[in-house]
Amino acid sequence: MSVTFQIPGPLREFTGGRTAVEIEASGGVLEDALKALWTCYPGLRDRIATEQGHIREHINLFLGDEDVRYTGGLMTPVPAGSVISIVNAVSGGCGSPS
Amino acid sequence: MIGQVLGHYRIVSKIGEGGMGVVYRAHDEVLHRDVALKVVSKNVGLDQSTSQDLLREARASSALSHPNICTIHEVGETNGELYIVMELVEGKSLRSLIGDTGLPIESVLRYGVQIANALGRAHDRGIIHRDLKSSNVVVTSEGLVKVLDFGLAKHVASAIFEGSTRSFQTGPDASMVSGTLPYMAPEILRGEGADYRSDLWALGVVLYEAASGRLPFEGRTSFEISSSIMREMPKPLGPPVLPALWATIQRCLAKEPMQRYQRASEVQAALEAVQSAVVISTDAAADRGGPRTTVLHNVQHIHVRKGDFLLLVGTTKGAFVLRSNIQRNRWEVGGPYFHGHAVYAMAYDDRDGQHRLWASTQSYWGTLLRSSDDFGKSWTNPQEAPIRFPADTGVSLKNIWQICLGRPEEPDILYCGVEPAALFQSRDAGESWSLVRGLFDHPHRPRWVPGNGGLALHTIVLDPANTQRMYVAISAGGVYRTDDGGGTWTAQNRGIRVVFMPGKYPEFGQCVHKMAMHPNRPERLFLQNHWGLYRSDDCAENWTDIANGVPSDFGFPVVVHPKNPDWVYVLPVDSDEFRCSCDGRLRVYRTRNAGASWEPLMRGLPQKRAYETVLRDAMTADSLDPAGIYFGTRSGQLYGSTDEGKNWKKILDGLPSVVCVKSAVIGDPSVFRSPRPRQAAATSSRSRRSTGKSTTRRGKS
Repeated sequence: MSVTFQIPGPLREFTGGRTAVEIEASGGVLEDALKALWTCYPGLRDRIATEQGHIREHINLFLGDEDVRYTGGLMTPVPAGSVISIVNAVSGGCGSPS
Repeated sequence: MIGQVLGHYRIVSKIGEGGMGVVYRAHDEVLHRDVALKVVSKNVGLDQSTSQDLLREARASSALSHPNICTIHEVGETNGELYIVMELVEGKSLRSLIGDTGLPIESVLRYGVQIANALGRAHDRGIIHRDLKSSNVVVTSEGLVKVLDFGLAKHVASAIFEGSTRSFQTGPDASMVSGTLPYMAPEILRGEGADYRSDLWALGVVLYEAASGRLPFEGRTSFEISSSIMREMPKPLGPPVLPALWATIQRCLAKEPMQRYQRASEVQAALEAVQSAVVISTDAAADRGGPRTTVLHNVQHIHVRKGDFLLLVGTTKGAFVLRSNIQRNRWEVGGPYFHGHAVYAMAYDDRDGQHRLWASTQSYWGTLLRSSDDFGKSWTNPQEAPIRFPADTGVSLKNIWQICLGRPEEPDILYCGVEPAALFQSRDAGESWSLVRGLFDHPHRPRWVPGNGGLALHTIVLDPANTQRMYVAISAGGVYRTDDGGGTWTAQNRGIRVVFMPGKYPEFGQCVHKMAMHPNRPERLFLQNHWGLYRSDDCAENWTDIANGVPSDFGFPVVVHPKNPDWVYVLPVDSDEFRCSCDGRLRVYRTRNAGASWEPLMRGLPQKRAYETVLRDAMTADSLDPAGIYFGTRSGQLYGSTDEGKNWKKILDGLPSVVCVKSAVIGDPSVFRSPRPRQAAATSSRSRRSTGKSTTRRGKS
């Protein structure tokens, strides 16, 4: 199953400069596609997900135009040929000093 | 032929010509669809019974329905000519796609899986292809593979083979053989006949060809090719061909059928495993492995020489490195590094002869510990976050608040204090990190509560004399001490008052903002709390309130003079609600008697409408003589004094919010000496390394 990930500028250093990468995923849900993405481009994993495997708070993944948070999260079905965009959210800043 | 009608197929145009005959585009006048129609050449040399076999086999193949197999619609005979009507596949032959250099590995795997899948279906139906080759595989514009001519080759191939054995080099069939011979399995050449595994050999040849652009067994003549197939090993394929793919190809190309995969589905599974388990693209392969070094652009770099003095400035939007000499009055600014990332912790490590800058970076994309061995020109950007909570904790790293070097005699030891509150230790100079479990598993931990800045372990203080003893400060958990190298920890907050709990002197839960120790008197510690200034003279067993004459005992940083253990600097702010310098006057307060009294230091600092905040790690001292004191404000101003606080100058303005200031002198043995053991140092006022929270240095003498 082939899935395309759109890579944002700050992460392209880990995709050899590619703006989009096509991945062969073995399963049918977002978690499978992400696992395949981590395998191919290991630098992306810790930037998109926490060490506990959750998508980072201010990172949004869109399957087509849909934010996956509202379509089942990591269990969102990902049909072959899907395009997944990785986007940092507009909310928040970079930590709040105290 | 054009315009002729065979059966109910009207021939429209010629598509191509192959060993078996000519292929035409034809229109099915009954079903009104375009098809491919292959007219089997009389030159192929089929006798009547072979023709019948071919017809029978083609009919059997027509039962194959699979997305990767070009469907045979019909076989027929008219006027003594055999014709085969097939699905019209629009695409390019795999042969033409491969070119001279081969395909990207991603494509090799994707096409290989589909071919193997097609073979598997056919083999399950008892049909062997017998002439699989790259020119028999068509790839559509959507990337769908279609394998052509299933089951049609048996008799044709054997006829060709028999012809070619008669005259390998000069026979009339040599040109036809050249298209097929390189894909023939050794058992076919030995005359033992083909079975399923011969197709898997051919698949191995196709994979080899697709990955490299060349055939595994080559020769100038048919004899040389056959000889190579029978006896030689294919030239190994190295990067970018992945070892797992090469292993799969090799197993397909085992000379003995018994040593090959025994089923197409096994090859498919092997290719899928490669597909899902390893890097798919060549460029990505280069991305794997150890930490990357990122060279930043649009960044000012500094050139650091021995004897230079540095200020490391972390802000909420990046880091800066300022260079001066020991006069400390002219500054060259390097940075900003890590555009947009918050840098809460920095350190300079020159233990063991190195010159390494450390920085923590926090952003949307997570928190990383990074280092530079060229004073900021390049920084590591590790693929995997070096500091990470183990899975069983269920906790994720939010920020790194403190980078603390181990003792000079332990040059491979580093500590990091992080949020959520935990201590990490590295024993290999920062290569790998582990959670200090003794503290993380402390029964108090569930009852620690986050301060405004989060639940952070922000201060680490090592006892320079007792290598088993260290202190940490947690907001809001209080001070904890270990006397056994981190195995067990005790809360050390006796005498420290809180205003936000019903009991005013709880065992733990104090919101400590910063802790400092003078290495010459490691039994003495100072605390700046969320309300409260304290000193302990007994290794944090008991604390005494020392807010004697400060306008407010609320503040963030506390810094000990590098030489005199009785001199301490703080920067009070008005209150918890109004965290700005008192009365709009930016003043540093200094004690020269360990907190018995405090004096304001203001010369050169704004004393009108200066509502500034200086955060917990945004003040530091250097180790020069006279000592320098530096601080940065939340409004992005950086101030320094080179006379122990008497006079101040603005060093920089307009920075992002400053959250971290550290100093470093680049190895000058005439100025610095290694810290000595406590006993020897107790009577000396000589320069020492600064507190655990500051940049630690070691002389080269």
